[in-house]
Amino acid sequence: MKKVMGAALGILTAIGGFVDIGDLVTNAVVGSRFGLSLAWVVVVGVVGICLFASMAGRVAAVSGRATFEIVRERLGPRAAGANLVASFAINLLTLTAEIGGIALALHLASSVEPRLWIPVAGLAVWLVLWRVKFEVMENVAGLMGLLLVGFAVAPFLLGPDWGELMRQAVPPSPPGTEHVATYWYYAVALFGAAMTPYEVFFFSSGAVEERWTAKDLATNRVNVLIGFPLGGLLSLSIAACAAVVLLPAGIEVSALSQIVLPVAQAGGPLLLAVVIVGIVAATFGAALETALSSGYSLAQYLGWSWGTFRRPAHAARFHLTMIVAVLLGVGILMTSVDPVMVTEMSVVFSAVALPLTYVPILVVANDPQYMGRYVNGRVVNALGTVYLVIVLVAAVAAIPLMIATGAGS
Amino acid sequence: MTRERLVDARLHLLSRQVLDADGEPVRAVDDLELTGPDGQEARPGEAAQVGAILVGPTLFTRLFGGAVPASRLPRIAWSDVAHVGTAIELSVRSDELDADWVELWLRDHVVGRLPGGRHDAEADG
Repeated sequence: MKKVMGAALGILTAIGGFVDIGDLVTNAVVGSRFGLSLAWVVVVGVVGICLFASMAGRVAAVSGRATFEIVRERLGPRAAGANLVASFAINLLTLTAEIGGIALALHLASSVEPRLWIPVAGLAVWLVLWRVKFEVMENVAGLMGLLLVGFAVAPFLLGPDWGELMRQAVPPSPPGTEHVATYWYYAVALFGAAMTPYEVFFFSSGAVEERWTAKDLATNRVNVLIGFPLGGLLSLSIAACAAVVLLPAGIEVSALSQIVLPVAQAGGPLLLAVVIVGIVAATFGAALETALSSGYSLAQYLGWSWGTFRRPAHAARFHLTMIVAVLLGVGILMTSVDPVMVTEMSVVFSAVALPLTYVPILVVANDPQYMGRYVNGRVVNALGTVYLVIVLVAAVAAIPLMIATGAGS
Repeated sequence: MTRERLVDARLHLLSRQVLDADGEPVRAVDDLELTGPDGQEARPGEAAQVGAILVGPTLFTRLFGGAVPASRLPRIAWSDVAHVGTAIELSVRSDELDADWVELWLRDHVVGRLPGGRHDAEADG
């Protein structure tokens, strides 16, 4: 019984933890401009993150080595160092976007200026990292993030033309008003938002934090394979909300208030309140994950001691890294840069960095020295190889598309 | 445990995680110091053995060139290594190692002094 409860909790936190500011903004932007014609990318992205997150979790559970230790060990100090610089920068950008997301959501709820919320949000993130047990922070943020289900309820209340939504989604037909390059630019952005590398750093290090062993592999698989697709469904419902309300009205999303507009229209203040709490929880949870990931990646590359399961004094450099990362994020936001823009940048650059992280995971998951009899099966390897090709194409295409389309404008 | 095993220094030692006797991470292996049979510097064409694991500044000189005087390099003597697996396990504790002084300094002077710096989140139940 306890095991079933544990599995259920894991699934629920995976659903709530899946959506972050990147998914939120990108899906709403895409929904308002392309309807559901990019829904297929979310499906492709979710399958990919399931594949590689469960692989990274399995490597960590069996070998006790987290992802960036493996990246360093396999790629050597030079290539892994380049990966570290890129991953750390993107992580910082994502952390900045998440803290900005918390502040924007609190601004919606309180009409207090976001810039006053930014330091409060940063401090709150740090206090939780400093003080709270790993399982508690993961579960609370994940469960409260489930309130985003309001986005999934809204389309039913709005009573849209379901036939029209289906026609947009299958077969995918980009609206005639948009350029083909813009369509593909947002396809790469959505893919980057679904497969952000910090999720694997976090997932594999989390397995070490929670002291997983080979016995926990079944739980790992269930959490990922059920939780992430349901989280992906939440992402799709955000796009659907935007497609139903914002697309016909010709509203292009440039602020968080526009993302929640369909929800307010569908369910009034009550549903809006539910969704705003969900957004605060989801962005707060993702801020924790990205801050932790910045510490994880640097500490694991250099071999420092890390983890919230140690007292802060016994992982001094790890905690100091996270403090610096949160301070940098808050500092960037205080220059009154637009958090929504930071988010859009972070998901595109994520797409560029994807291969650097996913290649070593696939290699080590096949190494019997690390994995014993838990090496990848044939199906997983075949899928993994297909995804490496997709990831490479997306990474190569990202920057040219960004330049060609003027970042989608 | 005297079973012989072939270890490739580049593949099995470099960049691997070093753990102390309690399983606490110390550093990653940034470089190795080779010594000749007489304990002096290794010479090309002669037998050599791994004398010590080098950590810290040597990583930067490997990446960017230059050299650190050998006497200044933080090192972990190979005699302190207990086991070589997917990580390199030592037979000593990390507080006994000079190589880990940055961590110890930050622990004692910065992070340990912040309120709650020595609080154990796991003990909250």
